[in-house]
Amino acid sequence: MEKPIPEFAVLRGSARRTAGIFLLGAALGGCAPLVPQTISLRDAWPAGVPEQIELGAVPFFPQEDYQCGPAALATTLVESGVKVTPQDLVAQVYIPERQGSLQVEMLAAPRRYGIASYQLAPRLDDLLREVAAGNPVIVLQNNGFGPFPIWHYAVVIGYDYPRGELYLRSGEKPRLSVPFTVLEYTWKKSDYWAMVTLPPGRIPVTATESGYLRAIVAMDRVASDSAATAAYAAFLRRWPDNPTASIGLANRHYRRGALKEAEDVLRRAAERHPDSVVVLNNLAQTLSDEGRDREALALIERAAGLESPFTAQVRETRELILLRMGKDK
Amino acid sequence: MQSATFRMICRVLIAPVMALSVQTARAGMIGADQVSLAAAAQTERNTVLNALGRPAVTGELQALGVDPQAARDRVAAMSDGELDALAGKMNSLPVGGEGLVVVLLIVLLIVVLLRRR
Repeated sequence: MEKPIPEFAVLRGSARRTAGIFLLGAALGGCAPLVPQTISLRDAWPAGVPEQIELGAVPFFPQEDYQCGPAALATTLVESGVKVTPQDLVAQVYIPERQGSLQVEMLAAPRRYGIASYQLAPRLDDLLREVAAGNPVIVLQNNGFGPFPIWHYAVVIGYDYPRGELYLRSGEKPRLSVPFTVLEYTWKKSDYWAMVTLPPGRIPVTATESGYLRAIVAMDRVASDSAATAAYAAFLRRWPDNPTASIGLANRHYRRGALKEAEDVLRRAAERHPDSVVVLNNLAQTLSDEGRDREALALIERAAGLESPFTAQVRETRELILLRMGKDK
Repeated sequence: MQSATFRMICRVLIAPVMALSVQTARAGMIGADQVSLAAAAQTERNTVLNALGRPAVTGELQALGVDPQAARDRVAAMSDGELDALAGKMNSLPVGGEGLVVVLLIVLLIVVLLRRR
């Protein structure tokens, strides 16, 4: 397994020729192209993205047995500043009976370290953009064919477009050169599945508002206060109008007893979204906890007059406020 | 089963606890995850699936050789949508695991075949 494979050197030396042959094959095939995204890249290289880059400092963890999932994940997590080894991750993403790791678990595990994992849109452009921004990208490849799929996770750490190659940390290879065509051909079969893991506060360059919100709300389930707070705060700096992120941030403040901070966040959200029942309810609850039941009651009355799936919670909050007011008399 | 009196007693009992502990009052705060679900207008459906889904997926992981505690922790880190995607399909979804050697052999095979033409 560890012996160098002589053919490998040949392949690497003739990456461009291989790419040519692949393209030729695709053209001769006459049907849907084998590597559509690589072909369209020739006419439209993504604007503002350098044609070559290599993230040489990204660590490498050689894969053991069938554990390319833990190895790939350790690569990007360590790059994100987490102290973790592939061995630590085996218990979190490896499934012994299936000798591999599921995509969902690759996305879920980083959250336990306070890292938001983000699944990229299925586009080669986006992969290149993330790498160019300094973010190594985990890809799922199928290196088998037809009824014999061989699924494999590798980490893209660079590319050289003029040479037609991408560079991967893959399996036991610290730096594997792969032609664009070969990468796309193997990657296409996972519907171009790719992910990045970034510390809170660093938003993937290709992230969309709804996609990244999903990523950090999912992280919120298991992450520490500091990680979740940082993630929501960074999100709101980029997308200040988002009510859900405001609610998430305020809840974290609230949970650690920082009522004033929670109130400030919710007030800003209420100005932008005066009809958000959840913002009104949570602000009312917070104010009531601060002993300001009169203000709280006015807000919850407004919430009660609005249509929402949260009528039960609103009613409870209102009853609590009234109860507390009754006790004060 | 909950009579009005019963609920009143509960509320009176809860009030002092609320006053003492912010943590308890958390019940009144609606979470960001609930908002996300509501946005999908599927709150109730998801809540039901969730209740069935987490233990089911945990069980499936255990059946595939994952340690019980580890399985629970792993499932805890999944979102509701991800749970939905996994439940009942853990044996058919792709798992990435294989190393490199086969990759190269297959790539070479393709190259050789194409060259012969």
